[in-house]
Amino acid sequence: MSTTELNTTLTRLQSSPPPSSQKIASLLSTAKRQLLHLDALLPAPSTSPHLLHLARTTLETGALFSIRLQDPDAFTRYFQQLLPFYELPPSSFKPAGDGQRSKVTGLYLLLLLTKGDYAGFHTVLEGLEVEMGGRAGAGLEEDRFIGYPVKLERWLMEGSYDRVWGATKREGVPGEEFGVFSEVLVGTIRSEIASCSEKAYPSLPIANAKNLLFLESEGGVVEFARGRDWVVQDGRIYFPLQQGEGVRSEKEILVASGQVIENAIGYARELETIV
Amino acid sequence: MPGERRNLRSTKDTSSSTNGEEPRSNSQSSSSNKDQPVPTTRATSSKGKTLPTKKTSGKEGAEDKPHTNGTEPVENGINGTEDVDMVDDGSEKVKVGTNKEGEDEMTLVVPPSKSSKLSGEPNKDEEGDVAMENTNKSDNISSELDPRAKAVADVKANFTLLERAVAQFDARFTLRVLRSISSIRKHLAPDLLAQVITETYTSTSSVAKTLLAALGKEDASFEGPDALSEMDIDTQTKDKPQTTSKSTTLPKDVLPEVDTYLSILVQIHLYDTKATEFGAKFSSNLVERLRSLNRRTLDALSSRVYYYYSLFFEQLAPLPPSPMASAVSIRPHLLAALRTSVLRKDQDTRATVTTLLLRNYLSTSHITQADLLISHSEFPAAASNNQIARYLYYLGRIRAIQLSYTEAHEHLVGATRKSPATPSAGGFYQAASKLLVVVELLMGDIPDRAIFRQPSLEHAMEPYLSLVQAVRVGKIEGFLNVVQTHNALFRRDGTYTLILRLRQNVIKTGIRMMSLSYAKISLRDICLKLDLESEQSAEYIVAKAIRDGVIEASIDHEHGFMKSKELGDVYATREPGEAFHDRIRACLGLHDESVKAMRYPMNQHRLELKNAQEARERERELAKDIVEGEMDDDDASGDFEGM
Repeated sequence: MSTTELNTTLTRLQSSPPPSSQKIASLLSTAKRQLLHLDALLPAPSTSPHLLHLARTTLETGALFSIRLQDPDAFTRYFQQLLPFYELPPSSFKPAGDGQRSKVTGLYLLLLLTKGDYAGFHTVLEGLEVEMGGRAGAGLEEDRFIGYPVKLERWLMEGSYDRVWGATKREGVPGEEFGVFSEVLVGTIRSEIASCSEKAYPSLPIANAKNLLFLESEGGVVEFARGRDWVVQDGRIYFPLQQGEGVRSEKEILVASGQVIENAIGYARELETIV
Repeated sequence: MPGERRNLRSTKDTSSSTNGEEPRSNSQSSSSNKDQPVPTTRATSSKGKTLPTKKTSGKEGAEDKPHTNGTEPVENGINGTEDVDMVDDGSEKVKVGTNKEGEDEMTLVVPPSKSSKLSGEPNKDEEGDVAMENTNKSDNISSELDPRAKAVADVKANFTLLERAVAQFDARFTLRVLRSISSIRKHLAPDLLAQVITETYTSTSSVAKTLLAALGKEDASFEGPDALSEMDIDTQTKDKPQTTSKSTTLPKDVLPEVDTYLSILVQIHLYDTKATEFGAKFSSNLVERLRSLNRRTLDALSSRVYYYYSLFFEQLAPLPPSPMASAVSIRPHLLAALRTSVLRKDQDTRATVTTLLLRNYLSTSHITQADLLISHSEFPAAASNNQIARYLYYLGRIRAIQLSYTEAHEHLVGATRKSPATPSAGGFYQAASKLLVVVELLMGDIPDRAIFRQPSLEHAMEPYLSLVQAVRVGKIEGFLNVVQTHNALFRRDGTYTLILRLRQNVIKTGIRMMSLSYAKISLRDICLKLDLESEQSAEYIVAKAIRDGVIEASIDHEHGFMKSKELGDVYATREPGEAFHDRIRACLGLHDESVKAMRYPMNQHRLELKNAQEARERERELAKDIVEGEMDDDDASGDFEGM
């Protein structure tokens, strides 16, 4: 088996207008099978630069395709397969360059962010940071694709939800594939805002709540409020009070005294063993 | 807690500085009392060190710890001895340029300040145990000889120790040998090692050949005395009887422990002379050979071999941050070593290799792999203190990256507490403290000011101090300024990404300050004071702060202000009790640890039994005496009455 077959598969994959999604799926699996036959699904030192390039392109196409299909599992799989290729120095590819690396990585970061996997997010970011530092290139934030999730994460963490909202609109999104996540992100910030509001406001007019929650209409607000068990009365939303504070504190005292007694007995026991 | 730590350290620091004082008086008086072994060792060692390390020690001073020289300029001469150990620290720092440099040298310079002071003494003791005539001889020799012969004698004395370690199966002797490396290191030279090798091995030994080849001394002739006679005739005449008597007493085939020990010395020599490439090759062969040996008495030694093995590879051409680093290539070997050591219950190698692997993974920021390694392997609890400290440091680092700050904090506190107090390991202490400060900030705590006042940290922590101040004030602008100014340094320390995460903490602190100082403040003012972009942002941020429990307040949306709630009394809550409990638990834990750390030498209980037996016999005798004495008593009383 030679690389020519793979080449033709790839050109068909990237032809415009793009083929139908079923066609792409079958073409992708053909391409992957061809890669396997060529023993290039995982980079080996003996793999030729040209083949490496082809393999990477195939996987990247697959990754972007699975994002468009909103299939995060498939995307994660592709990303894991791509990682060993990204760790090779750019010079080992025939048409040298980073390919779509930053785009795919940015998407992966965004996926982690929407899943709420902050630990994974920062782990990937740390690796990128160290690598970039080694190359003495520009910072991560300057990269259009990687900078996007990085900024989003920062805003989410500090609570500038309005900026996140702005970023998820059409002009703020760096690429078509990134738009897929916008809906999830808006959902995330909406529930964040809701939980913040419960604590921060005693009550809120519906009109203001509509703005705060980035909802389209007041009807939407009422529906949303019902979903979270908020009381809507006379055009105002009343948030449920922190229930039973008095009762809870009494219970707490009971727990606390139990703990204190336990601790004291523990100290006594330990002291006995020492003395 | 940090306060306690500081106290601990500061006492240690003072003790180390007194150490510095002591040797000086010794070296001054050394000329007068020749019969005492200790001062002479001092003198010789200080003589030895001035030659090779002059240049580097200067560099080191500027790079790492200017204060050691700066605060006590009078002691420069003495500091020199300690610098020898620190030199590696500094020079390595320059070369590697990553953040974890410091602890590299941690293991190999076990107690430098003390060892340089005592270098003569332990050897004396040991020799005294082994053979009386050796003691006398080395006393005589060391008082008159040049440091070279002294070092040769030291190395050879270690052979006997190693043999004893094998014979009695006691790792303590091996550890003692390893500890002496730092003092011997100063004198290492190809000539010296070649001399030792030729005198130890027969000319047919293949081990000797490889060792000599590594030193570039293939032509050295065996049964050395004749070949070496051109050197110092004085030395030789006195040295000869000793060596000949030794070579006759030595068993015909040299122990693998001795092989390994000499190999380590060769490794160190190659490392010190920066023969990295060759050292890497030599170490690879050495590791191969070690793998074929299965001797428990080799454990401590082989762990040291692995340590240098990985150190060599770390400095080979493509340096770590790039994923193609040559350090990556030794991972399979290290993993194999880890597997073998686990199967053989080889605690030393296991601990060392685990930390080496972690370091290796982190150097190329393969954090996921490092995390997997931790979760799939168990770190031996019986590992040496230094290894535990390093392990904790790496663990803390990984956890910090993964945002589990509480865990990271715990590990890092452990690492800073366990880090050796010797000045040569200062790099490790600094690195761990830096990370600890950042993690504390991330947790929302403000680190104790006292941390930055420790003499060993003051200079290195300066940027971090300004960072803490910026976070404490809660001004975003100041914070960004600090990050900008020290950008390169933070990146080098590997704390940059962590510090970037601090942004939200700065904002939170700012909001908390405002909530504390104002009963009621408009969102607009908050927005202005915190340099936020819009009032809307400010509202969301304040709402989030309320939800996260940073402040106790509520927002009035229609009028656009934040209203703070009355603050409760902290002492009415459980917090003080919990803090108290934590401290007590720490103390109890410390007690338990120290009990566990006590050593019970083998067969000691028999001795005690014997003692008890004797005691019982004595008691019986005593009882008999008393029984007999009763008569006397009676007699006496009778006499008394009679009088």
